Amino acid sequence: MLSLTIKEVSLALREGRISPTELCRRCLDRIKKTHLNAYISVTEDLALKQAQEAETRLLQGVPKGPLDGIPFAVKDNFCTENIKTTCASRMLRDYTPPYNATVVQKLLDQGAVLVGKTNMDEFAMGAGSTDGAFGPVRNPWSYAAPYRQQTGASPDSDWVIAGGSSGGSAAAVASLTSYLALGSDTGGSTRNPGALCGVVALKPTYGLLSRHGLIPLVNSMDVPGIITRSANDAAIVLGILQGLDRRDSTTIPAPSPLTELPEDFDVKDMCIGIPKEYHAPGLSAQTLAQWSHVADMLERGGARVEQVSLPHTQYSIVCYRVLCHAEVASNMARFDGLQYGMRDYLLLDATSQIRLHPTILSTDALYATTRHEGFNDVVRGRILSGNYFLLKQNYQHYFVKAQKVRRLIANDFKQVFSSGVDMLLTPTTLTDAARYSDFTQEDNQTRSAQEDVFTQPVNIAGLPAVSVPIALSKRGLPIGLQLIGPALQDKRLLSVAQWIEQRVGFPSIKFSPSASGVALICLNKNLIMFTLGTCIFCSCSPIYYFLYSVLVVLSRGFGYS
Amino acid sequence: MCLYFNGSASQKQVFSFAMAHSCFVFLSLHVCSRGFLCLVVPCLDSLCLSASQQLVGVVGLEIHAQINSNTKLFSSSPVCFLAPPNSLVSFFDASLPGTLPVLNRRCVEAAVMTGLALDCTINRKSLFDRKHYFYADLPAGYQITQQRRPIAVDGMLTYSLLGGIKRSQVIKKNVHIKQIQLEQDSGKSLHDDVRSQTLIDLNRAGVGLMELVMEPDMSCGEEAAAAVRELQLILQALGTCQGNMSEGQLRVDANVSVHRPGEPLGIRTEVKNINSVRYLARAIDYEIQRQIDILQRGGTVQNETRAYDAKLGETIPMRDKEGLQDYRFMPEPNLPPLIVFEDNASLPAGIDACQAVVLQKIREGLPELPSVKRDRLVQMYGILPEHSFTLVNEDGLMEYFEAVLKETKAGPRKVTGWVTNELLGQLRQQDMSVAQSLISPLALAELLELQETGHISSSVAKQVFQEMWSSGKTALQIIQEQDLGLISDTAQLHSICQKVVDSHPDEVHAIRNGNKKVLNKLMGLVKKETRGRADPVLLLMRL
Amino acid sequence: MSISSLCATRRVSLTIIRPSFSFLTNGHSIPYGVNFIRRTPSCSQSRITNVTRLFSSRPHNPKVPEVPTWKPVAEDQLPTPAHIPADLVDKLERLALVDFRTKQGLACLEKAIRFADQLHVVDTSGVDPMDSVLEDRALYLRDDTVMEGDCAEELLQLSKNTVEEYFVAPPGNIPLPKREERAAMLKHSEF
Repeated sequence: MLSLTIKEVSLALREGRISPTELCRRCLDRIKKTHLNAYISVTEDLALKQAQEAETRLLQGVPKGPLDGIPFAVKDNFCTENIKTTCASRMLRDYTPPYNATVVQKLLDQGAVLVGKTNMDEFAMGAGSTDGAFGPVRNPWSYAAPYRQQTGASPDSDWVIAGGSSGGSAAAVASLTSYLALGSDTGGSTRNPGALCGVVALKPTYGLLSRHGLIPLVNSMDVPGIITRSANDAAIVLGILQGLDRRDSTTIPAPSPLTELPEDFDVKDMCIGIPKEYHAPGLSAQTLAQWSHVADMLERGGARVEQVSLPHTQYSIVCYRVLCHAEVASNMARFDGLQYGMRDYLLLDATSQIRLHPTILSTDALYATTRHEGFNDVVRGRILSGNYFLLKQNYQHYFVKAQKVRRLIANDFKQVFSSGVDMLLTPTTLTDAARYSDFTQEDNQTRSAQEDVFTQPVNIAGLPAVSVPIALSKRGLPIGLQLIGPALQDKRLLSVAQWIEQRVGFPSIKFSPSASGVALICLNKNLIMFTLGTCIFCSCSPIYYFLYSVLVVLSRGFGYS
Repeated sequence: MCLYFNGSASQKQVFSFAMAHSCFVFLSLHVCSRGFLCLVVPCLDSLCLSASQQLVGVVGLEIHAQINSNTKLFSSSPVCFLAPPNSLVSFFDASLPGTLPVLNRRCVEAAVMTGLALDCTINRKSLFDRKHYFYADLPAGYQITQQRRPIAVDGMLTYSLLGGIKRSQVIKKNVHIKQIQLEQDSGKSLHDDVRSQTLIDLNRAGVGLMELVMEPDMSCGEEAAAAVRELQLILQALGTCQGNMSEGQLRVDANVSVHRPGEPLGIRTEVKNINSVRYLARAIDYEIQRQIDILQRGGTVQNETRAYDAKLGETIPMRDKEGLQDYRFMPEPNLPPLIVFEDNASLPAGIDACQAVVLQKIREGLPELPSVKRDRLVQMYGILPEHSFTLVNEDGLMEYFEAVLKETKAGPRKVTGWVTNELLGQLRQQDMSVAQSLISPLALAELLELQETGHISSSVAKQVFQEMWSSGKTALQIIQEQDLGLISDTAQLHSICQKVVDSHPDEVHAIRNGNKKVLNKLMGLVKKETRGRADPVLLLMRL
Repeated sequence: MSISSLCATRRVSLTIIRPSFSFLTNGHSIPYGVNFIRRTPSCSQSRITNVTRLFSSRPHNPKVPEVPTWKPVAEDQLPTPAHIPADLVDKLERLALVDFRTKQGLACLEKAIRFADQLHVVDTSGVDPMDSVLEDRALYLRDDTVMEGDCAEELLQLSKNTVEEYFVAPPGNIPLPKREERAAMLKHSEF
């Protein structure tokens, strides 16, 4: 049930074959069993209440929309009314916003059931979901059979990262604890974990989705991202979320109402560009092979595949870095502990009056101490360098220079798309997911430069892009490829994504009980007899699997009517 | 306990702050001064003129005008001067993360209208920027302003001041307007020095401001005061700003330096905390003199920010971060360019004419500006330019004047005299505005009518005016009660004259010897005897 | 064997358009643990060959470059590194109100600047800076109607320190203490 697509589960809910409360309970249950640290808050009570309401509506035959009763998760940098929104930072660890982000509200208005707020890098600054105040997110594929078998990995120490910064959202969808999740994408923060966790991750055209209520990283590049298990699911969600929002002056009208993708979309006569600069130093042989393989597939499908050039690609990450740090310096200025958020150094005196700690003698001192304690080193580092780039004496030399390079990068895309190319096909990441222990050897700056190399140019140019899971690597970890389209061609982009998806048959994860009591995850969408026949499709003991299957069969008797 | 009422953006106002238990009460320490400025300003001609051989002052102004609108610049929370603390604050105003600015069309139209009235070039495309600094009443840590490309540039303000020996000559002057930019106001900080804390009220945070930058084309406090007064009148005529300095709707910072004409400008100071036009003139003149004194002693002027202390009549250095401050301007990424269209024809497809700011429409709706009004008064009523100046510069005085004129046969010049002398004198004495006048235009018209028709003399009329002011009675009532009507009974008048003549033989002798001047003395004595009721024409004949 | 089998399952489905799940039509729920049949078992024979071809012997598509097309910018192409004097770091820390107090902080800053220096390899003469991808769009303008405000209670309860209906801050306009004293101020915030 949990591995269904949104379209499938929506139909099942409407037809009464599944009940929203049962669905919600299963998701909550699975969240508890999978120790991935994908969630910062699980909104169990609220979710069950919402599910109950959905159930009433569905029983009465008056669902709010296609998402009524469907569980979803939200990255913890989207504001949720009366639900903690921490940005994975000590600064906001107790912050409860008084309003919902527009995109969250739109999902709630559809009757979707919020199961929790997902883990991330602090203030979305990172590419591994390893730099948050609530600890790293573990990639569900770390516990799936292919990786465990192939690498002989130990579950406690050799787990791989989920990618970031929306790692919690990607892990939530990949581990089947929610049908869709909102991420945010500033330089690849949705697509990167999407690729590493083997799920579909859409970064829509800049302005198509409202940023109102998204705690910003880089306002001129941020977009809410959509993480689902299929391209069609992403299209359904995009259709619900897109469009003008009067509370965000950077939103643009949706080109057309978008519902579902055509099943019979054909790539015939399309022109797919292969930007040669996307073979960057460090690209893994396996990702390269997949890139080539899908290019073949498209050619066989009748598309014209051409090599194209985006000459300034190499400098994009540098440009991105300067603009990002400058905006971070600015956006983080509001976090001072005065109106909301953390404020240490408050003491209760004898008369129960709140007093400042005696060392805090001024507003500046309060801000400095709050910000010192509230932000991690990565955030403070970016604030410091961002302020450096914005200093009067450096503004032209760095900030304006980066803005000029930004135009060159945007023009590269413009030229390619105006020369008859419909879509671009590129890798999403250089490699499959790194082991946590390896990943944390490098500092955040270096890692971000590597991880965002293929993803951030799209943010600089405001274009839509989607990462599609293609295959598992030799290590048994997902490899994703990225499709990039011209502005507002999001639907067409997803149609091509679906075309590819239909042909690569990427496996999804299946949950099973573990021998050790630790929740493990194994592969699914395969043959039950094959699983039982080989008895060792995953690392769990065959006898447990057998018992579980028996239980499952028994439980069918208590299924839904 | 004295606390400072600080605005971090540009304005520091001093308020007294009384605390009773835990309830806060604010009292305005300075009685607000209401305009009356161009005439009250102490004449500092000596400063403006005599220094010209030596050091002269150079004055530029930065003026923050609060836009008269229902809601704030980027949020739809209300704009109101008096309200409970933090009751006019939206999530955006409190800088809650994830909130975004949405620009108020009214504020844009107000700035464009002001720009047009000041002969500015309106930029068809203007941009917003962030200006960063930390201050407790600036919750976002930056202010949204227009640094790179403001909405209006390159304008001119023509203002007049009274000069000449009798200060009756109207002198026209120009000051260049460098730019008008839209920006956010900050909140207010109340410094509680006793408990060593600052209380923050964000009601003002995010209110729309027009920052007008006036080039250093002025040379003394009087000029600056006259320019600001003229601007105030224009803003009030346009309705784009209420312009009340004491309420902080109009805040003026002065950049002051001194130099010898022909030489480069000297090091300047910025004078803040000025909350009336009168204090503006004083603060600037004080500062010019202070700088001249320093230079004449061989010292150097420090580039610093100084606050005007109205009680001391001095400017004093303010603690600031000037040396360190770097505002780290950056384009505001949440606001695409602000586009203003020439006319409806130039609107691109898909843009609603009601939604867009269209220059032609605003230009057509511009009201009569004060300079045009003055010219009209001079032409229509034949009054003196300096009187038209007073009538227009005083809030509501022109309307008062016209209301009186309508109800009496008295000529415009006569009414002007009454309104600018008697009425205005009385108002100033009481520090009241025209609107607060205790004598209505109708009541004054009645009084003038009585004088006009020969019922009372002009001296009695003035006396009755005073009586009307203090008692609230009508002119007719007072005249009847106190028997102040003119004595036109010749017999009665004759007997009074005879009495005076009899008791002053020396004077009568002198007159008989041809000294006609002494006659005036006798007339005065008769007037005294009759308490001014003697018809002067009849009296002269009698004597 | 088992791993390669896994990898293979997705290869074979190349030819399979996503099957509709049986339970959607038969009215039965499929609890987890029961896998969906997506292909015939006989297809599993082709898995191993598929995998081999995928990772080793599949001919490379000529449109996809086989080797990296660029190299990182060499150090000698960059301008000489900017010197960051100690007082500049202090100034930045005061402006930004973040504190590093360590060599590491300075090193991090120097690294970020060095990285940014690569921009200067790019020729941008005649290029206008780009603020936003929406630079050609007119800004939306809102009506001047009150819609918000009047939520003092809601806002004040978010703050850790309020008096009456005010937010409370320490005294303003006092610069940060010197670096050495700052260390003491931050000492108890170590974690």
